[in-house]
Amino acid sequence: MERLSQLAINDEGFIFDPYTGNSYTTNKTGILILSELKNGKSGEEIAKITSEKFNIEHSVALKDVTDFIEQLRSLSLL
Amino acid sequence: MNNTIYEKPIIKKLQTGFMNKFGTGVFKRIRKDIDGVAIERLVEQFGSPLFVFSEKKLRGNYRKLYNAFSNRYPNVLFGWSYKTNYLDTICSTLHQEGAIAEVVSEYEYKKAKRLGIDGKNIIYNGPFKTMESLKEAAEDGAMINIDHFEEIQDLENVAKELNKKIKVGIRVNMDTGIVPQWSRFGFNIESGQALDAVKRISYGGHLILNGLHCHIGTFILEPNAYSQEVKKMVEFAYKVEDEFGYKIEYLDIGGGFPSKNRLKGVYLPPEVVVPSIDEFAEAVCDTLLENLRPNDFPKLILETGRAIVDEAGYLITTVHAIKRLPDGTRSYIIDAGVNILFTSFWYKFNIEMDREVSGTAEPSVIYGPLCMNIDVIDESVNLPPLERGTRLIISPVGAYNVTQWMQFIMYRPSVCIISEKGEPLLIREKEDMEDITKREILPEEYELKK
Amino acid sequence: MKKLCIGVTGINAVDNPGPGIGVIRSLKECKDLNVEIVGLAYDAMEPGIYMDWLVDKSFILPYPSTSEEEYISRLLYIKDRVCIDMIIPTLDAEMPFFIKSKEKLESYGIKTFTPSQEQFNLRSKAKLEETSLKIGIKTPKSKTVTSYDELTKAIEELGLPVMVKGAFYKAYRAYTHQEAVGFFRKIVAEWGYPVIVQQVVSGEEMNVVGVGDGKGGDLGLVAIKKLWITSLGKIWTGVTVKNGKLFELAKTFIEKTLWKGAFELECIVDHNDIYLIEVNPRFPAWIYFATGVGINLPSRMVKKAFGMDFDNSTEYEAGKLYVRYTYDIVTDLSLFQKITMKGESL
Repeated sequence: MERLSQLAINDEGFIFDPYTGNSYTTNKTGILILSELKNGKSGEEIAKITSEKFNIEHSVALKDVTDFIEQLRSLSLL
Repeated sequence: MNNTIYEKPIIKKLQTGFMNKFGTGVFKRIRKDIDGVAIERLVEQFGSPLFVFSEKKLRGNYRKLYNAFSNRYPNVLFGWSYKTNYLDTICSTLHQEGAIAEVVSEYEYKKAKRLGIDGKNIIYNGPFKTMESLKEAAEDGAMINIDHFEEIQDLENVAKELNKKIKVGIRVNMDTGIVPQWSRFGFNIESGQALDAVKRISYGGHLILNGLHCHIGTFILEPNAYSQEVKKMVEFAYKVEDEFGYKIEYLDIGGGFPSKNRLKGVYLPPEVVVPSIDEFAEAVCDTLLENLRPNDFPKLILETGRAIVDEAGYLITTVHAIKRLPDGTRSYIIDAGVNILFTSFWYKFNIEMDREVSGTAEPSVIYGPLCMNIDVIDESVNLPPLERGTRLIISPVGAYNVTQWMQFIMYRPSVCIISEKGEPLLIREKEDMEDITKREILPEEYELKK
Repeated sequence: MKKLCIGVTGINAVDNPGPGIGVIRSLKECKDLNVEIVGLAYDAMEPGIYMDWLVDKSFILPYPSTSEEEYISRLLYIKDRVCIDMIIPTLDAEMPFFIKSKEKLESYGIKTFTPSQEQFNLRSKAKLEETSLKIGIKTPKSKTVTSYDELTKAIEELGLPVMVKGAFYKAYRAYTHQEAVGFFRKIVAEWGYPVIVQQVVSGEEMNVVGVGDGKGGDLGLVAIKKLWITSLGKIWTGVTVKNGKLFELAKTFIEKTLWKGAFELECIVDHNDIYLIEVNPRFPAWIYFATGVGINLPSRMVKKAFGMDFDNSTEYEAGKLYVRYTYDIVTDLSLFQKITMKGESL
């Protein structure tokens, strides 16, 4: 989580990592998941939050959150 | 509680050289129907994957091409290239439009006749013509274009047997500035081989040379190559007429015109690099009129296949699974593989979705269902995150796929056509176990004991 | 005087620079031309985007390899936002699009000043030898190849060393067969087929930049010799020259092809023989050199396109020196952020 807390994320989804100098872009859902991850929430908890917020099925939300976490991992941000 | 539209979460690293949010396209290409028939209805009726042909497009393309030539030259005939697509319905449609049949094997010859085409209206090309088929074609009065010296001999034998003189054409090849030069078919003009063939025919005395055939290559992007071809054919025709007393009644310039498909290895999009059919027609007809003698208008035959049928064909497929590759790339497994999309080896197809999908597009890989590494439909196509069950409509796929497709680990799918009235009609049923196993013989001693 | 809004591509002023910045500098320095410049880029890292004293606004374009429809719709979006009056494309890979879509763009109120499709084809690397023969200009022998087999044959015929060139970009000198195969592979991987193999002719390399008026005349010509080139083959220092034979060749080229638009002729001068090596259908990256010696071709082209009078003097001094240098900009991430997130600097 420490890596994530270093990231500078703006409202539009531009992310700058002062630690490595890399920049990233993400979307609204990505911003939400990142901020919840920063809050220390688990994947399951975040899926619950997104499914409620966007009114989508929990199973879909869980799959997407898991996929997003995989993306963060492949970018070495987690 | 919230009316924000949900987008699947995505994060992208910005990399030098790839910081272009438009890059290779951001348009979400949506296709909800083909000629007014909903994709979903087609799938419900015939299953997925499904080849769909548009009668409207097929006839439209034919007329556009035919008119481009017939408006510029008085004596034009189209031969439908069977090998490009020999589904009965496709051939019939084009025959209704006025095309005769152009076949390159005994099988195709018989298929054309079975459909009701008179032998006189069949052009018989190809490097491998069996004796039986030559005899049949000669009796029928088909237009036979000779590929090699052995065939001259074969036809002379047929002529002797039938006790009549047979009218024949010869296929020639030449340098038209196109690389690679197609030199393996017919007789070469520059080397004098073609003239030798004429001498040989004249010497034999059993055959009457009345036509020349040539085909300079495929997916030709240079109209000028056709000018070269026509010029050399006309020169050669007059040489033959003047020196041997034959009358060349037809010049068959083959096909090879490109469709608006995107060739792999060509950087610019087809709308920019592919010349219009009018440019090709102008190159051919202007050169003909410039080089022909006054009041001599031999029949101009064209065997264009791809340019007529490619864009009339679509393949509806369905996303079966979604997978993130170790390098972070998103990939999809769909239900149609390279075994039924032979042209995927050289084309980068249009890929359209059947529904609006929100979310950022990212370069994704599309894999087919075959358990083989080479089964890749597109190595990198910009797609928003797709759900399982999304239909992807792949086009243009009307040329060669339904003749070169290969049965492998599953059945080949149904093929339908959308009639001009907007009615979807099945034109080839999906295969079943019987189709594939009925030629197999299991000798008794190999049978498994019950 | 009405302000003209001109879109210019190729603002990638990097170690292999695009011509955009040179074109823009020329336009901005023309005293009787009032222009606003819209930089058209393909990557958020193109330096021109950040050179705010030259480029007023920037937009990202999709690559020319996308569909024509998308490319046009992006240009129309930009037209909508900033009212572009004219676009000066400066990159080879864009030219086919701008040539093909000339009328369409014109109908939307976007002018261009480019060669016709036919003229463009005549100078293609694959056709150059044939064209030169027709108009009576010497050119090295070349072969178009699409396979290793043909490459080998071409090398046997032309003899080593040879130049191995891509249809749009890249040119390498190969001294061995093996080297040639390597370059062939490299070019095909990036730019596809065909590959052109050209005979190497020896002599002094000289270049001419000019703009054809489309009727056989020119809006000015400047000839230079490159004195020092970088490892990428790009000019770093150069000098103006006046060589009658070179001008003669350029004038013949314009007259016989009725060339319209910018061009750069790459020539080899060997005593009395001049060989035409390549015709680039756009301004070269060193176009500001011509402006600097008093022949401001980009501004003349714009004025011609809008039917304005322009100074058509042809005199410049031989022996003027051109020195390229590097420069550093320090800025913050905000513009970069806008360009990556929104695709525009507004």
